[in-house]
Amino acid sequence: MISKEKEFAQLIKDNQGLIIKVSRLYTNSLEDEEDLFQEIVLQLWRSYDSFKGNSKISTWMYRVALNTAITLFRKKSKSLPTNELDINHRDFVEDDDDKQQQISLLYTVIKTLPNVERAIVMMYLDDLPYRDIAENLGITEVNARVKMNRLKKTLKEQMQKYA
Amino acid sequence: MPEFDLHSLKKAWQEQPVQQKYDDNEILKMLNRKSRNYVKYIFWISVAEFLFITAIGLFYIIQGKESSSYLKILERLGVNKTLELETTFDNVFLVLKILSLSITAYFVYKFYQNYKGIKIEENLKSFILKIINFKKTVNAFILINIVLLITVTSIFTIFVLYIVNIQNVEVSNSSLTGFIVGIIISTILAVLMVWLYYRIVYGIIIRKLDKNLNQLKEIDSQES
Repeated sequence: MISKEKEFAQLIKDNQGLIIKVSRLYTNSLEDEEDLFQEIVLQLWRSYDSFKGNSKISTWMYRVALNTAITLFRKKSKSLPTNELDINHRDFVEDDDDKQQQISLLYTVIKTLPNVERAIVMMYLDDLPYRDIAENLGITEVNARVKMNRLKKTLKEQMQKYA
Repeated sequence: MPEFDLHSLKKAWQEQPVQQKYDDNEILKMLNRKSRNYVKYIFWISVAEFLFITAIGLFYIIQGKESSSYLKILERLGVNKTLELETTFDNVFLVLKILSLSITAYFVYKFYQNYKGIKIEENLKSFILKIINFKKTVNAFILINIVLLITVTSIFTIFVLYIVNIQNVEVSNSSLTGFIVGIIISTILAVLMVWLYYRIVYGIIIRKLDKNLNQLKEIDSQES
């Protein structure tokens, strides 16, 4: 029989991508990124019992990860002002095609947005329905859609500026 | 750089290569890690505030200081310390202590209940609102204690003046002025210190939460 801890570890391993993306989007240093990753895992573990069977895995993971990144987490390093954002951040390292280069630039640009908007863009890119985006944030579906449409324009402008 | 289209990047975003950073053992180690988070800080700051206010209350209850210190002030002003006066003061203070303890007990219960109500798996808005609500419980507790302090001080000042008048005590203008000015200054100082504490501690803690909550409210007010 698999222990609860092992089962949980497997779940985290299967969904590391989501936690890594959130950790990357809400921090500006590797140290903070690692710290946030671990804090998210810890918060997921603490709410693991209450999650079981109550909601979809993705809903639970997004909520815990975003709540931790946006509200709970205390960064060690000071956050950088937008114009000092590390455009040469390791996001660019090892990029070998246009798509990946755009993804790296996308990370940099999304990081210039306020916390809640970052969450909306991330969930949009992960293809969550607007209803789920709205429910995870506690806003209306219409407003999530309106906001995302405006964010598309902002991101386009920013991407062109940085490119 | 090709033309930017967010929608077309969805696939690349979802399929971005994710290094498997941690193995089972590393993940299991994380479960025993010490959490560094805002709610935890708010919790311990609130516990410290509770303990501080309650300790002051209990200290006076054990010492029975309020009653005797007020009687000393009265004596200094020349009032006769009669048995009736002492009994009246003792009874009034007993009621105040019961009231103060009941308020503390109620707020400790609310504090615990609101803390337990904070669930990380809720949506962002409810999560922030519950943390703010939790902190507000402690603020309400401190505010009620301040109001109680000001009310009790005002009532006793009026009571002292009333006794002085009833007993026809000849009080020199300077003693009476000293007494009133002393009470006003100490009350203002106490309130000022608490206000300053709030500007600093509460401001730092709540600013981040408010910022995120305002972003959510702004999004919800933009329907077009």
